[in-house]
Amino acid sequence: MPSAIEIDGLTKNYGPVRAVDSVSLQVGQGEIYGFLGLNGAGKTTTIRTLLGMIRPDAGAVSVLGQRVGPGGRGPWGRVGHMVEAPAAYPELTVYENLEIARRLQGVRERGRTGEVIEQLGLSPYRDRKAGKLSTGNRQRLGLARALLHRPELLILDEPSSGLDPAGVVEIRELLETLTDQMGVTVFMSSHILTEVDRLASRVGIIHHGHLIEELDSGALETIRERRLAVRTRDLDAAQRVLEEAGLAAKANERTLYLQDGQAVDAPDEVASLLVNGGAAPTYLAVEQENLEDYFLRITGGER
Amino acid sequence: MTGYRLGFQSALWAEFLKARRSTVTLLTGLGFLILPVVSGVFMIILKDPEAARSMGLISAKAQLVAGVADWPTHLGMLNMGVSIGGLVVYAMITAWLFGREFVDRTVKELLAVPTPRWAIVAAKFLLLALWLPAISLLIFVVGLGIGALVDIPGWSAGAVWSSLGEMMAITLLVYMLMSPVAYFASVGRGYLPPLGWAFLTLVLAQIAGALGWGEWFPWAVPALLSQVNGPRLEPMGAGSYGVVALVFVIGVVATLRWWQRADQAGG
Repeated sequence: MPSAIEIDGLTKNYGPVRAVDSVSLQVGQGEIYGFLGLNGAGKTTTIRTLLGMIRPDAGAVSVLGQRVGPGGRGPWGRVGHMVEAPAAYPELTVYENLEIARRLQGVRERGRTGEVIEQLGLSPYRDRKAGKLSTGNRQRLGLARALLHRPELLILDEPSSGLDPAGVVEIRELLETLTDQMGVTVFMSSHILTEVDRLASRVGIIHHGHLIEELDSGALETIRERRLAVRTRDLDAAQRVLEEAGLAAKANERTLYLQDGQAVDAPDEVASLLVNGGAAPTYLAVEQENLEDYFLRITGGER
Repeated sequence: MTGYRLGFQSALWAEFLKARRSTVTLLTGLGFLILPVVSGVFMIILKDPEAARSMGLISAKAQLVAGVADWPTHLGMLNMGVSIGGLVVYAMITAWLFGREFVDRTVKELLAVPTPRWAIVAAKFLLLALWLPAISLLIFVVGLGIGALVDIPGWSAGAVWSSLGEMMAITLLVYMLMSPVAYFASVGRGYLPPLGWAFLTLVLAQIAGALGWGEWFPWAVPALLSQVNGPRLEPMGAGSYGVVALVFVIGVVATLRWWQRADQAGG
């Protein structure tokens, strides 16, 4: 099966600034690929290149098996996209904005606009001017436009940005349904790690224009660091007890952290040790590094 | 080819809807209607020299510009207004039509769709080709109404028709000069660069006209056609139309090429 997205050695410079540097990645069909990076890491430049809006200085980009060429050639009838904050004609209603999109997408079914309005929960705002929409509803309008022509591939830049927590969950469920039931491939950038963590089957991390890591969500489980967090009433005493037993512990305000595999695998033994040493734990938990911690660790903690 | 035709039709439909909903359409039309009103006021002043004298400076100015209160003068003033004012007012419409996609950041929704980019640009130029004559026609019709109201002497149906033809010819020339405005609105991603260009060309046209090079300076040609410097003794040469057409072609090609090829990193 050909890849839905194939990026090979993509490089793009803006004057002296190298926005994207030799990025290569592949996204298989039906995958949800999370493209993680801080602001300015090169996410949007990569996405705009995928959509033929920017010409690469080096490298090649293919979408749905078709090389994205100059002059905006590409399989756009099969690709839905949302780049940065979605824009709309402010003096046109939600319905009119989507009608324009429907025609430019070459969708002949007239009822499709109403359907997608309903799907995205925009029915109460159907006749509201886009300029008067809240940020969250503008985001929904952008997503509605991306879904209008029932694309095989969705390229979404920060799809949950501006949505309230309920909206974030709703969009996550929508994307999951699209991939599970309709086999849609999703390439989404985000800096909201929990979102990518829950949704993506694969994650690519871009930093300063370089793709520094690419991993499956399964792989992430295994490479994430685990640690045992311990709290006691007397942190110093507990640290002494642990050190005497040969377990290194790092103190952090009110908590001790043990990264030793032995301790993480046998928290019960650590508890006994502390009780016997007269520093009974008030809290004991095996914590797993989340994607955010992992991300900060491998990007050197820069924000 | 059917796909291309459909794409073009879609783009044209979208442009019409956007223009219809925009207040720019209404405001530029209404704003330019000041032209027949001003001409009508001049006619009132010129018709009654007694009242004109009592009004002092205004009447002196009216004498200077218009001359006598009759239909050919009134209609000539309308044509002159479109030939000069159109370079700015019609540039505002053009700047809005192309620049708004960048100001509203909607351009990114037009680039990766099955409708080809050239169709979107062509639809904008076609809309402009209908919009500008419509405003000119509105100015002309309102001018006729005001002229009738003021009861200007010297009515002749023949003169009205020939003035209307001239108005449309002037509008066509001004339209052709709008393609670089579209280019600057696209490259400049907004309104200021195209309007700066429009004012620059207007000023240069005045200078070229004053120096007697107007026939070869494209932006002075519409005003020459409107006989702004007095009735012409000889019809204008084909070369004058040629330079305007050349500007049009260069502007259209440059705009199309830019939309096809330029990086769209913003918007």
